Parts: sequence; structure tokens; C-alpha cells
Amino acid sequence: MNDTVLLTAIIFAPTLGAFGLWVFDKKSVEEMKTFAFGVTALTFVLTLFLWNAYDPTDGGIQPVLEDGQRGIAYPWISNWNINYRLGYDGISVPLILLTSLISMLAMLASWNIDKMVRGYLSLFLLLETGMLGVFLALDFFLFYVFWEVMLLPMYFLIGVWGGPRKEYAAMKFFLYTLFGSVLILIAILMFYFGSSKLPEGSTFNMMTLMAIGQGKVDGISWNEYIPNMQIIAFILLFIGFAIKIPTFPFHTWLPDAHVEAPTPISMILAGVLLKMGGYGIIRIAFPICPEGALQAAYTLVAIGAISIIYGAFAAMAQTDFKRLVAYSSVSHMGYVLIGIAVWKIHDVAGTNYWQMGMNGAMFQMLAHGISSAGMFFMVGVLYDRVHHRDLNQFGGLSRLMPLYTGLSIGIFFAALGLPGLCGFIGEVFVVLSAWNFHPVLAIIAAAGVILTAGYILWTIQRVFLGPEYKGPHAESLSPITTREAAIAVVLVFFAVLLGVYPNVMFYLMDESIENLVDSLESAVSSAGLGVLEN
Amino acid sequence: MGEIGLKPYLLVGAVLFVTGIVCMASKRNGIGVLMGVELVLNGANVNFVAFSRYTALGLDGQIISLFVIVLAAAEAAVALAIALNFYNNHLTIDVDRGNELRG
Amino acid sequence: MESIGHELGIWLAVAWLLPLLGFFIEIFGGYWGTRLSKTAAHMAVVCIATGFVCSSIAFVRWGAVTDWAALELHAPVSATHFYEEPNAAKHSGHGSSEAATAIKKSFSGQYYQLALFGDLEIAIDYYIDSLTLVMFMMVTLVATCIHIFALGYMSDELTDDHIDHEVHLANGSHMHRPGRYYRFFSYMSLFCFSMLGLVLAGNIFMVFVFWELVGICSYLLIGFYTERHSASTAANKAFIVNRVGDFGFIIGLMIIWTWCGTFQFYEYDSVSQSRPGLFQMVRTADGQLDREGDVVYLQDGQGHRLVNAHNQQPIGIEYMLLVAAGIGIFAGCVGKSAQFPLQTWLPDAMEGPTPVSALVHSATMVAAGVYLAGRFFPIFTPEVLLTIAYVGCITLFVAATIAIVATDIKRVLAYSTISQLGYMMLAIGVAGWVAGLFHLITHAFFKSLMFLCSGSVIIGCHHEQEMTRMGGLWRKMPVTAFTMLVGVIAISGLAIPGVIAFSGYHSKDAIMATSLAFFGLNSSHFLLYFVPLITAGITAFYMFRLWFYTFLGEPRDQELHEHVHEQSWVMTGPLVVLAVFAAFCAVGGEHGYLFRLLADSEPAGIAAGTIGVSGIALPTHKQVGAVHMTAGAYALVVACLGTLMAYAFYGIKILNPEDVKRQFAGVYRFLVQKWQFDKLYDVMFVKPAHIIAGWCVAIDRGIIDAFLHRTVKTGVDVSNWDRRFDEVVIDGLVNSIGNVTFAFGRSLRVLQTGLLRQYVMFIAIGVVGLFLLLFVFFPK
Repeated sequence: MNDTVLLTAIIFAPTLGAFGLWVFDKKSVEEMKTFAFGVTALTFVLTLFLWNAYDPTDGGIQPVLEDGQRGIAYPWISNWNINYRLGYDGISVPLILLTSLISMLAMLASWNIDKMVRGYLSLFLLLETGMLGVFLALDFFLFYVFWEVMLLPMYFLIGVWGGPRKEYAAMKFFLYTLFGSVLILIAILMFYFGSSKLPEGSTFNMMTLMAIGQGKVDGISWNEYIPNMQIIAFILLFIGFAIKIPTFPFHTWLPDAHVEAPTPISMILAGVLLKMGGYGIIRIAFPICPEGALQAAYTLVAIGAISIIYGAFAAMAQTDFKRLVAYSSVSHMGYVLIGIAVWKIHDVAGTNYWQMGMNGAMFQMLAHGISSAGMFFMVGVLYDRVHHRDLNQFGGLSRLMPLYTGLSIGIFFAALGLPGLCGFIGEVFVVLSAWNFHPVLAIIAAAGVILTAGYILWTIQRVFLGPEYKGPHAESLSPITTREAAIAVVLVFFAVLLGVYPNVMFYLMDESIENLVDSLESAVSSAGLGVLEN
Repeated sequence: MGEIGLKPYLLVGAVLFVTGIVCMASKRNGIGVLMGVELVLNGANVNFVAFSRYTALGLDGQIISLFVIVLAAAEAAVALAIALNFYNNHLTIDVDRGNELRG
Repeated sequence: MESIGHELGIWLAVAWLLPLLGFFIEIFGGYWGTRLSKTAAHMAVVCIATGFVCSSIAFVRWGAVTDWAALELHAPVSATHFYEEPNAAKHSGHGSSEAATAIKKSFSGQYYQLALFGDLEIAIDYYIDSLTLVMFMMVTLVATCIHIFALGYMSDELTDDHIDHEVHLANGSHMHRPGRYYRFFSYMSLFCFSMLGLVLAGNIFMVFVFWELVGICSYLLIGFYTERHSASTAANKAFIVNRVGDFGFIIGLMIIWTWCGTFQFYEYDSVSQSRPGLFQMVRTADGQLDREGDVVYLQDGQGHRLVNAHNQQPIGIEYMLLVAAGIGIFAGCVGKSAQFPLQTWLPDAMEGPTPVSALVHSATMVAAGVYLAGRFFPIFTPEVLLTIAYVGCITLFVAATIAIVATDIKRVLAYSTISQLGYMMLAIGVAGWVAGLFHLITHAFFKSLMFLCSGSVIIGCHHEQEMTRMGGLWRKMPVTAFTMLVGVIAISGLAIPGVIAFSGYHSKDAIMATSLAFFGLNSSHFLLYFVPLITAGITAFYMFRLWFYTFLGEPRDQELHEHVHEQSWVMTGPLVVLAVFAAFCAVGGEHGYLFRLLADSEPAGIAAGTIGVSGIALPTHKQVGAVHMTAGAYALVVACLGTLMAYAFYGIKILNPEDVKRQFAGVYRFLVQKWQFDKLYDVMFVKPAHIIAGWCVAIDRGIIDAFLHRTVKTGVDVSNWDRRFDEVVIDGLVNSIGNVTFAFGRSLRVLQTGLLRQYVMFIAIGVVGLFLLLFVFFPK
């Protein structure tokens, strides 16, 4: 299939689906849901084509056109040199697969929504367009547009279909993210005007901006445009993306947003949206501002370590099931930040550890996408039945809902980082790579394993074990339905697959990450910073 | 008898004018007011004719006074129509009774 | 040779993976079978029994390429002979030493690569030497026996309506639930898979993977009775305490990974020969550390220093980091083997069904800590070894003292397990490598035997575990009583030297001999000899106390006694098999086959005592051999004393334990409270963790969110001020201009009278006025 068609189809198939929904009669709810699910399934299949099209041995941005240009590009707003520029590599392909998979499962989990169904489904599909667009865009302006396209549907999905405090949660989410977006926009404009000395004029092309940031374009350097711009721009980008990850201290929107969001939206939020932050840092912040990144590496790792411990402690103190899962996300995403940032110019072996950390971080994102989406789904299944989430009012579910309990425990163990399940690989790779960077921070990060085991096992004990159910609506605890079981089984399947056969993703990512690590390394050492570090 | 000169004409014009003004200001009868207007116009006409005879105005003054006469006729027609209407509305032609335009 | 290694790898992999296959089928037993079906259980038994067959075949195949004569050489006839062969080369069967034997006896290889980053590789490897094989055979044999025993023991789960008498519901009734026979066996299969994987592992990362997996199996099995709060709490405690140890384990892994860049134990694969394994890096061929000052230089496995490929400088690791790595890995062992200070989880773990206690919490999983300490021996520096020795020493004493006062039959056995594991750790710490692992094997047999016997008693007494209600059971349960006696004698180390000796006697002797030799060389560490010596007496005392309490004397609870009966052959059969092994597996002692096999895997340098530096002298085999008789004699005397004490208290009852209890009430309470460890940890760790967790939430609510809310509120306030400014100042200005204009216009209104005549007057006066003004101001 033609690359342009494929990429465009992946991004805009959900949008078309959203328009297609308006053909249906307002009352034919079931048909609309089936149709929307079909659209997400189609998108998933299209991303499988993308997986097939990607050549992991190359590692660079693909598709490679006949004239050697990487990524497709068509003029969009030519006055300002804005292009419709798309492409994919080993960093984005796994995340695109994750996005379309989780979207499909979340759509399947949306069957219980019965308020303004058409609006819900349309917004959901628009959201998917935004997410896929972010991962595929290579033009900074386009990236920003998709980034904002994600924001609004999310706001409405939380604010309209959410729980009791939905307005508060939606506002908090919106303000937080908007604040981050503004910082990103400032950085984008800095790059745009900083690149004005190019022969073709200012540009939003990410690949060109990366080349400039890495000192590969003669005569242009960020630091000459504005003194210390590498650092300033990096900080702006980092805060913007850190809000999305989210890391301590930018995380407080997450528990509220999760608690109030409907179950499928929680799945999307935890499974995909949080990955935008990590992706942004890997794809944009690091390659465009390598010197800034190197300077900030220590802070980043420290923030990651704090997030791990802090999130785990905060999770331990929760009595709301969903809040607990939300805080566990903060804790798990801390590993991502550590893995990305263990950049120490040490010796040649040091690069290998950074590469390992980066791989671990990417893998942790995928693993967390599976396990946290699964956990939120499992909480949602329970909430649909008994309409409360108080951890102290459960118990005895293992007897009442045996299949549900088995699948949940599988997913919770994946989050706990049990070997053979997906959470382990990412976590342990990141931790192992961290000692080379800084022993104390590595030890702090490793201490997370105790706390994680603590809060997850305690949760399992309170919810699933014990003699009898202690809360209200005991009569409605019916066994898990086929539809629900299907979602959970798919998630457990992927948790196991990634756990025992991590190469299924590593082979996609490895080459791209190696390229990235090597080019950043050489960029910084040619700039003379490496010597300083040593 | 030699030339009468400009001054007596102007004097007559001024008397006519002032008489007209006084008539307009003092008559409550609408028709009286109209008569005052005619006097004022004709006072002015005397002036125009006189100036046309004694200054470099030439025939212009006489033409203007002809215009004025024509206009006065037209004005009188309109004014009389107004007066009739006024009478229909107020059953009088006392202009002091028609104070609807008061601010 | 490669092909043999490959073949062994396949046989053991079959033995290893069969239980996993079994697990996947059995766990769905509820779907393809009924609650009354025993098929899943039989499948589990077949899997593990086949595993035993496969490991036996592997052993035979290994034997076929092994130069038994060479083995004979350093394990000849006389008891002391083994120790007189301090030739390191003879014992280092590992790779580089061509002198060892012409025939290679250990093999490594790779099953499957998990990830590769530059030079850093993470994979699923195997490493097979005699220790691996012995462990495989021990684990599969013990597990088979226990599986068969469990067929009978768990049969009350074979029902659709199981009543759990220990669970009281809110309405006062007992818990009714479907039986979970198949699930028990599926967990057991998963455990066997994990345990065998742990033993087979060829790199420390894979050990860690299976380390965690056995942990989770242990969690599932301890919490098998999920409805019991005590069970699920015990399961959580076991896993979390283990995680504390694993935290240290991870730190060790990080150091090794960062400084050595590999996880492999030994690297024999000809393809990647250039990359030496971990032990080949840290130790030279004769087991020395290449240490200069504070740096230990890594070896390339070929007798040279490993050099950095880029700058040709030798690669070194700081000595203190090596110590830290050793301590870290050992911390993992401490957690898993329930050593001080992480021993508190094991007694609670007795909440699980008794076969679980027998398999997981005495014979195999908890011994994995000792196994790893033995496997990882080359990394341990003398400081670490000393730590290990002292930790073992403290543990064996603490646990033994608590065992004296415990009255729950399974808890006594649990404390004795901790204590015996302490012995093994002590042995490894004082460089008695073979002695420690020897004891590990013998202990596995006699301890699983005793646990199964206690299981038989518990079933016989209808789930009564308190020894205070038993007594005189030997008449009702002769097989159980007799096999139990075998185990008790074995663990106590009683024997008639030269005539008959059970396995425990030999292994404990070996440990005592090593620690005596160590004490002889390092007199300041006298505790490392005397504490275990005294504890040997305590061990004999509490084990015989248990036996006398349970089987001898008059029944304390007549009603209970009347219903007691011996079990069917399914349960007594495994007892007999294990009793035979407990009695005779170590026959021959130091020149028996088991000992010689283990000695074959001994890391280089121990025999010659050359690995000792840093002011701590480690005993050579010769020195150990010299004191062997003495140590054995002392230990035997002490054990006999302990036995006699027990006989006096509980056998013929010439002494009354109640008197002693009253006399030392304080000590008694302290021991019954398990040295207050649980309370201490609760205060030191659990409560603070919850308090900090509360703080974190408070920070979120009180600081971050409060800051946000304040910011938002400030924003709203600012907009309010802005609105007021707009309303008051700007709008006010505009409005007042309008107002003034309006007022002016209003004031002019009076002129507009509507009177025609006035207007005429105004016009006239205005014109005159204008003219006047014209004249006044512009006179010309």
C-alpha cells in the first residue's frame, strides 16, 4: 500500500468514522457502538500493516522515498513553511500499535455507556485520531495541532461522562495540560525562529531541527540564537511533557482525572496518553536539545526516582481503588523517566547502559500501557456491578467471580513486576542500567520493588481474598461477561507475551534507539561537553 | 428732481422688514404671521432691487427678487395648507396653541 | 563434549518445562474437569515424576562422560583422605583449568536470548555441573513424594461443598466453598517449574527471575486458603519480606552488571569464548582475587587480565563494591532462606497446607538461598563470608531457642528449618562449601519427611496442630511414628560411630568440623564454633521433645485420640521412601557418593584455603580433616545430652517443664513472643511506611493541590479585580462623559418652547446680536 495513503488512513480513519456515526438514527445505539468498534478494529488492522511496512534493520525514519527523503511531506501552509509531514520509526511504531490496540479494547469496554452515545463515540474516535497523529507527525506544527486535538475530546469525555466531581477533574486536567502545551508552544516558536538562517527559511521540520540541535547544520546553533537556549528550550519541553507523564510534582491531575473518568477513558488515559510524555521526551526534547538534556540528566533521574517512591507510598495510603491504580501509574512511569535519562558520558560501555535504559524505558511504557489499562478496566468491571470503589468494602471476590479474580491477579502481578509478565522486563532493565549513572538514585529506584509489592498484595488481599464480600450490592456481583472477559484475556495475553518474549518489541525498537543514542552521544562529545562530564 | 439715492430705499426696506418681524413676533393669528413673513420678504426685495440699481450687482438683484416673489407665492401656498391643517387639528389658528415641538 | 552438554541441557529442560506445561493444563481444571476429578493431580504427579526420570537420565549421561576414577582420586577410602588432597586443580572442574581432568564435567549454554544491548546480553542460560544434577534429582524426588502424599492429604478438597472450619462468617456459620483440589496441584506444578529453573539457571539474572517466581508460588501456596485472613496475611508477609531481600539482590545485580557487564556464571560456549563468565572474571584459575590495593582486576578466563578494548587498560572493580555486591546477593539469600533478620515470615508461612510446608518451606525453596550462596561463592570476599557466617550463627541460635517453646507441631518444624538453614549458611561462611550443600541435601530429605509425618499426624488428628492435645499416638500411627523417629534422629545428629549413622550426622559433622577448623585459625571468632555446638544440643532437645510430646506418653485429649487412625499407603508410602533417603542418602559420609559428587563442583581455591585474605584465614581441607574426629565427637556428645534432657523432661518426666517455665517466666515469654521481632518490625517498618504514605497523600492534598487551588483562586481573584476595574473606572469614565453631555442637553431643553413667535424673536435677536458681535470684534 502506498505510504501516504496508509499513514493518512491510520490517522483519519477514526475521524471519518466519527462523521459516519451521524448517518445513524439517534436511537440505534447498539449499531453505532458496533460501527465505532469496527472503525477502531480497522485502525488496528491498518497499524498492523504499518508494523509490516516498518523495516527494523534500518532504524531511521521511514518510509524512505525514492529520492532518499525520509518521511512523507506535502505542503500545508506554505507561507510559513508548514508541511503535512509524517513518518515512523522504531520508537513510534510500538507505541502506535499500543494506541490502536488499547483504543480498540477501550471501545469494547464502552458498551456500558448509555448517555449521549453518539457524542461519546464521536469524541472517542476524534481522540484516537489525535493520539495516532501525535505519534506519526514529524512536522512540529502538525504535532502541536494533534497534541491539542487530543486535549479537547478528553476534556469533554471526562467532563460530560465522568463521575460525581467530573467538572473539577476535567478542569484540572485541562488547565494542567494546557499549561504544558503552552510551554511546548513557546519552545516550538523558539526553534522556528531560531532556524531562520536555513536556506529554505524557518522550519517546523523535526528532523531538520534535530540536526541543528545536534550541531550537524553549519552556521546554526541554538545557543547562538539565544544564549543557553539548549537548556531553556529543554526545560520548557520537559515540563510540558512531564505533566503528561506525569512525574512528581506535576502529577496531581492524574488521580482526579482517573477517578472521575469513565472506565474506557481511564484505560486510554493510562494506557496511551501518559505515553505521550515519554514519547515527547525521547522523540523531541532529547534529540533537539541534546546539550540541555545532558545537563538536566541528573535532575531527570532524580525526579524519576522520587516519582517511583512517592507514587508507591501515595498508592499505599489510598482507599479508593481507582486512585490507588492512578498513583501506581505515577510510580511506574518514574521508571520511564529514569531509563530515558541515564545518560552519562563515561566510556564506551556507558553508551550500552544508556541504550539499555532507553530500551527499558520504551518497554516499560508498553508494559505499563497493557497493565495499567488492564487494572483500570478491572476496577471498572467491579464498579459497574457494585457502584463503589472503597477498598475496605470488598473481599471474597475470588469465590464469587473466579475468572475475574484470576485475570485481575494476572494483571496486578504484571504491574507488580513479576518475571514472566510484562512489567518485570522494563522495570529491571531500567534499574540495572541506572547504577552506572548514579548508585544512590539506582538504589532508591530499586527500593520501589518493596513498596510496589506491598501495596499491590495488600490490595489483592482486601479485594479478592477473604471469606465474604463486605460492601453494598452484594447481589449484583455476577460473574464476568464474555465481552469483559475477552478484553481482559487479550490484555493478559499481551502481558504474558511481552513478559516471556520481549524481543517481539525489542527487535522493533533496538536499532532506532541505538541510532538515537549514538547520534546524541556524538553530538555532545563533538560539542565538547563530553569531556567536561568525564 | 434728481436721484432719490440708495438710502431712502434701504430705509423703506428696513421699515418693511422690521414691521414684518414685529408682525411675526406679535401676531398670534397664523395668517397674521404669514403676512409678517410677506412683509419681511418684500423688505428684502426692496433692498435687492435698490442694490441692483445702485451698485455693481446689476440685474442679479432683480432676478433674485423675482425668485423671492415666486418662492413667497409657493411658501404662502404651503403655509396656508399648514394653517388649514392646523385649524383642523386645533380648531383655531392661534400659533401659541401649537406647542407640540416643545423640548 | 559440546554435544553432551547440549544433551544434558535438553534432558534437564524437559524435566524443567514439563511442570510448566502441567500448570497450564491444570489451572483450567475447573473448566475441563469437575471438582471431584483427580486427573489434574495425577497429571502433576506424572509431570514431576517424569522430571525425576529425566534428571536421572541426565545424571547417568553425565556419569558416562565423567572420569569417575578422577572423582575417586580425591575421595578415597579413609574418612580423612578427602581432606589430604588440597590440590586445587583437582577440584576446579571449571573451564580454564586444563589440569583438572581431561574430561569436562560442567557445561553451560544458552536456551534463548532475551535482549542484547551492544555487548550486554541477557539470556536464558543453563549451567550444569554435579551440584545442578544433585539438586535436580533431590528436588524432583522430594517433590514427587510430596505430590503423592498430597494426593491423600488434600483429598478433603475433592468436593463441591468444602467446609472451612477456621473461617467464621459474619452470621456465625462456617465458610462453605467448592473444593480446590486441582488448583493446589497446579500451583505445585508451577512451583516445581520455578524451582527447577532456579537450579538450572546459568546466569544470575535468570536466577533472579526464578527467584521471584518461586516467591510468587510460595505466596499462592501459603495463601491457598484464601478465605482465612491469617493465611493471606502470612502470604503477603512472606512475599514482602522476600522482596526486602530482593531489594539487596537487585543492588548486587546492578553492581555486577555495571562493573562486569555479564550475568553468566561460567562461559564455556566456544562461540563467545572471548567473553568470560562472571566467576572467571572475578577469580583466577586457582580461585584467587587479583587484588591490588583497593582494586580487584578482572580476568579474561585465559589467565590474563581483562582489558578494555578501547584503551587497552586492565578493567578493575573496587574491592568495596565487590563486597557490596556480595552482601547484596546474600541479602536475597537471607530473605529466601529466612535468615536473621528476615526470618519472621517462615513460621507464619505454615498457614499453607502441610505438603507445601514440606516442599516449599523446608526442602526446596528456602534452601534456594543456601544454594545461591553456594553457587555464588566465588564472588564472595572474606568479609562477605564472615557476614554470612555470623548471620547463619545468629539465626541458628535464635530459631532453635524459639523452637523449644513452640507447641504447634508445624511451627516447631519451621523453626528447626530456620535453624538448620542457619547451619548451612554458617558452613558456607566458614568456607565449608561442600559441608553446607551436603547438609542442604540431607536436610531436604529428613525435613520433608518430618513435615509429611506432621501432616499425617495433623490429618489423623483432624487438623489439630497443637502438640499439647496429642500424645501416645505411636500405637495408632506406627508408620508415621517410626518414620518420624528416623527424621528426628537424623536431624539431631545421633549415631553410633562406625556402626550406623543417619544422613544428618554426617552433614552436621562436616559443618562442625569446618567451623572448628575455622575457630582454630581465627580464635577471635570463637562464637562461630560454640554457638552451633550448643545449638546442636538444643536441636536434639526440641526435636525429641516434639517426638515424645506427640507419640509417647498418655493421650492428653482422649476424645481426639479415639478418632486417630493411620493413613492409607498414598500417604505412608512417601514417608517410607523419604525415611530411607533420610537415613541412607549420605551413607559413607565424606567418602560417600553424595559428598564426593558435591565436592566435584566445589569452587577452586577452597581446598587449599587460598581464598582467604583480609586478616581472616579460611581452613584448608587438610585442616578441616585434622579436626574432623574431634568435632564429630563433641557434637555427638552435645546431641546426646540434648536427647537425654528431652527424655528427662518429656519421656520419663522426672523433670517438669512447667517448673522451668515458671522459673524463667521472663525468658519464656520472650521466646514465645519470638524474640519480639514481629512487634519490632511492625514498629520500625510497617507503621512508618503507612505514616509516610499518609504524608505523601497529605503533600498531594495539602501542598501541591493546595498550591494549585490557591493559584486558581488567585487567578479568579485577579479576574474579579479586573472586572471591578472595568466596571468602576473605565465604564465609569465613559458613563460620566455621557451623563455630562446628557445633562447639558437637558438644560438646553428649556429653550425649545415650541412657541413660533418666540423662535422668531430668537432669530431676530440672534441676527442683531451676531451683527453687533461682528461690529465689536471685527470693526472693519
